[in-house]
Amino acid sequence: MAKIFYDHLIIIEEVIAVLDEHTIPINKRAEFLKLIDQTLHHEILDVILTHLPKEKHEMFLTQFHRAPHHPSLMSLLKEHVEVDIEKAILRRASTTKKKILASIKNHLKSG
Amino acid sequence: MMRKSVLDTSALHKALTRHAEISEQKLKKRHPKAVSLLEKAGVSAGNIRDHAAKLAATSAMAAAMLFAQPVAQQVFSSPSAKYASFTVDQLQKTLAEQLESILPQIVSPLTPQQEQTITTAIKDTWGITAVASLQNERLNRSYGLIGAEQHLPRFPGDSLDQHDEPRQEGITPGLGAWGYFAPSKEQLTQDLIEREKWYVAVQTLYLPDWNTRFRYLRDWYQYRKVLVVNPVNGKTVVADVADAGPADWTGKHFGGSPEVMAYLGLNVGMQKGPVILFFIDEAENPVPLGPVLYNGNK
Repeated sequence: MAKIFYDHLIIIEEVIAVLDEHTIPINKRAEFLKLIDQTLHHEILDVILTHLPKEKHEMFLTQFHRAPHHPSLMSLLKEHVEVDIEKAILRRASTTKKKILASIKNHLKSG
Repeated sequence: MMRKSVLDTSALHKALTRHAEISEQKLKKRHPKAVSLLEKAGVSAGNIRDHAAKLAATSAMAAAMLFAQPVAQQVFSSPSAKYASFTVDQLQKTLAEQLESILPQIVSPLTPQQEQTITTAIKDTWGITAVASLQNERLNRSYGLIGAEQHLPRFPGDSLDQHDEPRQEGITPGLGAWGYFAPSKEQLTQDLIEREKWYVAVQTLYLPDWNTRFRYLRDWYQYRKVLVVNPVNGKTVVADVADAGPADWTGKHFGGSPEVMAYLGLNVGMQKGPVILFFIDEAENPVPLGPVLYNGNK
């Protein structure tokens, strides 16, 4: 799986572990993971762009597009964002994962 | 008897789709220009991982195409052809001069552009493909300070007097991060002797995903070949990762065996200095451990 520079703050494995407690067809599991991944990227980009000054958006997105995995992206954010961006990403990732995990729990039925 | 719960996958699919749609709409509403910029570049925010995978594949394909060229064509069409007649001193001097113009004045993390330029300079000089990021793995630093390490015990019962010179650094009381190199003295091969001789320690313990991907990363890094360059004198050595460290508080980013430090000319004074440490991509072009003393395209 290709890496994104904020992957270590998301820890998607927590959701995967819960999904994998159930017997899910491989193609279905892949679809679920794709949707979960998409949701997390939308949410994390929202946090980043909300805190990053607007005039820096283009510079960040250019570098993000060029090398989405590169750790210098986090350095760039830390340089231009006033809040603790890693904490902000962690918090949003945590909230999003809770919602996803709640959805998984809500769709359990007695076998 | 407890009844096992079953996941309603159809309903869950709808719910997860809804999560993805809502988050996308929120992003578009709050940051329309940013989303539009990404879309113009051919990427949707939610599919950034697919884009990252394509970039990695493109880079691998470019390397494969390079190696797919006939050897003669590679040599005569590459910039390194001009170095083919250089002596090792001239090669080291040329590399040091190039690195001086690329590296930041203070030892600090490199930008992707600086790393790419250094990869090209190394390839031209030595004919070796060395990269800061290999198979999407990278250390926290590709340019940092290296400090002197001791010899590592290679097998149970190993002692300092069984190692080659230099010996003044001593031997560690404990094992390297990956344990003994061989289960016994009888099983110590020349390859394993070379691995200890030319080892480096890298800060795997500080990788952001070390704990979450421990098993994979532990195996990936064990004896991983790296190219270590002293940018001051251009001296270059092929080493392997055989220990973890040094600790952050030391102010150093890498550790080098007595042999590595001696060859790089860093076994004097404070026994530390700046180095570039890149992974070697030897998929098509294996390189032996030890000092690099010639242009591989020669």
